[in-house]
Amino acid sequence: MIRFMGVKLASGLAAIFGASILAFIFLRIVPGNPARLILGPLATQQAIDAQITTMGLREPIYAQYLNYMGGFLRGNWGFSYSAGQPVTTQVANRLPATVELALYAFLFAFIAAVVLAVLSTYRRRAIIDGTVRGLAIIGLSMPPFWFGILVLMLFFSYFGILPGPEGRLSPTTAAPDAVTHLYTVDALLHGQFATFLDAVWHLILPAITLGLAPFAFLVRLLRANLLDVSHEAFIVVVRSKGIGRLWAFARHALPNAFLPTLTAAGLILAQLLSGSVLVEKVFNWPGIGALVSDSIVRQDYAVVQAFILLSAFCFVVVNIIVDLLYHVIDPRVRVS
Amino acid sequence: MSDSKAIGARATRTSKVEHTAGDPPEAETVLSVRHIQTEFVTRGTVVRAVRDVSFDVKRAQKVGIVGESGSGKSALALSILGLIEPPGRVTGGSVWLNGREVPLRDDRRMGRVRGREIGLVFQDPMTALDPVQSIGDQVAEGIRRHQRRISRKAVRRMAVQLLQDVEIPMADHRLDDYPHQYSGGMRQRIMIAIALANSPDVLIADEPTTALDVITQAQIMDLLERLVAEHHTAVILITHNLGLVAEFCDVVQVMYAGRLVERSGVDDIFDGATHPYTEALLRSVPRSDHLESGPLPSISGAPPNLAALPRGCAFEPRCPIGHGREVCIQEQPMPILLGPPGAEMRVECHFASERYERARAEGETR
Repeated sequence: MIRFMGVKLASGLAAIFGASILAFIFLRIVPGNPARLILGPLATQQAIDAQITTMGLREPIYAQYLNYMGGFLRGNWGFSYSAGQPVTTQVANRLPATVELALYAFLFAFIAAVVLAVLSTYRRRAIIDGTVRGLAIIGLSMPPFWFGILVLMLFFSYFGILPGPEGRLSPTTAAPDAVTHLYTVDALLHGQFATFLDAVWHLILPAITLGLAPFAFLVRLLRANLLDVSHEAFIVVVRSKGIGRLWAFARHALPNAFLPTLTAAGLILAQLLSGSVLVEKVFNWPGIGALVSDSIVRQDYAVVQAFILLSAFCFVVVNIIVDLLYHVIDPRVRVS
Repeated sequence: MSDSKAIGARATRTSKVEHTAGDPPEAETVLSVRHIQTEFVTRGTVVRAVRDVSFDVKRAQKVGIVGESGSGKSALALSILGLIEPPGRVTGGSVWLNGREVPLRDDRRMGRVRGREIGLVFQDPMTALDPVQSIGDQVAEGIRRHQRRISRKAVRRMAVQLLQDVEIPMADHRLDDYPHQYSGGMRQRIMIAIALANSPDVLIADEPTTALDVITQAQIMDLLERLVAEHHTAVILITHNLGLVAEFCDVVQVMYAGRLVERSGVDDIFDGATHPYTEALLRSVPRSDHLESGPLPSISGAPPNLAALPRGCAFEPRCPIGHGREVCIQEQPMPILLGPPGAEMRVECHFASERYERARAEGETR
């Protein structure tokens, strides 16, 4: 077990290392002069040369890399010139919004996928199954930003029952005191139910929009697995002991069908945690996706680099957790 | 005169078989299957997997059901358990256990019968156990389902005892292991333990040894024989291994195209089958005591399409006796009881009596 974890950890670190090198080199090859961007079009050549030197851009590229990584590990993620702030501050401001949205989107995708997959396979009614499959196709083929605009038009402009693209809270609601920086959690921790409800209200549309494609993907996977498993011989054997349909389904078919979807669910969660530019833009969500896209446009290296490292880290961590989970729930993977 | 002597000899032999098989000399009927019909409907075509099958099984009796693949053996087994899943459906008939009708069409009430009064041992031990649940949990599941008021500890003790009964070494240690940690033969032992957990009156074993090597097959059959003798359990052994039937069973039932075409005592059928299909089936099996030169005979033609069955006898197109005969083409033969009372011989063939008499006459002259 310890050896297994060691191997996983080492390969994870290797992945992060690879990502860091790629990000570093790639961003240095991209055309454009960061010093010129910082100082503006009116700066003299001398000023620009001086700026390049102070930024350390004259050093050999491996030295630049080592300087950067050394600083990164010590908590110095560089300085964002376009925002005039350290990158750490910027990320700290933006990350919680993305994490909260990602978690709710994942929760929606996952729960909806399990419920609908079960509904479409348990009784094998053609109507339910057809509806679920249709929903999955729609979910997979609908561009999320367009779907976002559509639900905004419907539920905000037309019915007026859900808030518009105003971010995480209504303008009149104050953010709860920061503990986890996730508004729903913090509001509950402080017993501010009105704030909690407001935060949930603002999460509904973006979470569904962001979770739609992952939901469609998971429901298809889970449905196919459930159909396969419910034809397995062991289900008949379980039933021959006198076990009812529902119990055999819940206790035997579902866990077996669920196992292969775990890896996919982990990857989806990691991807959601890296933020989504388009959905965040549509809902005016102050998350990391919008920050990164702005930074790319402004050639703000430091932010983009930190983001790439962060999402590599995120993927690695989620994958290690998934591997650990397999150890807990799948005896065949367990190393004795 | 000579006729009655022959009948007398036959009668004594049959009763001897029953006496060794069951504890009470006058064995009572535990399972009655009456006119079971099972159909599978896919895209408008109706596949008639089981057609009007009736038979009785006495306490501790061992009944073999043989037939080629697709003859309806497994469908019959699942029909008796009420486990036919859509698109399949039991469209008619009834099953009686210990004199009470089994609620075949009420899944909830059927759950009280399955596992308690009828147990099932499934074909392939590699896929018949849930891969992510421990063996102990899977054995205990059946016990707990039918014996609600016993403690966790007692259930565990019972599970250990069951595994010891099926000769799994270090049973109390291995209870927490998972199926992939056992070999195929061991898994089949576990299957038997699960099926016998509540000492059912009837055990249906659907090709229990097909997936195993010959040595393991013999061990499993010995084990099964010992256990059903201890529990006085009646067994329905579904197989296409005629050798297994000859060794293990008291009575043989032959299925063809969803119908029970012949039922006979095991000695009678191996001495000389009455139904032409049974005869052909037996001839196509190599036997060490009937060494003949030349290639092994086979049955020409293919089994009928169960979605488009002929009006008359389903075996008519392949039958060496009835092929082309008007009565065989036009009329479904009805079961004919043969032999002395209690001989358990029942054959679905228009020429059954004729063939039976002739065979017996030939036996006399020999």
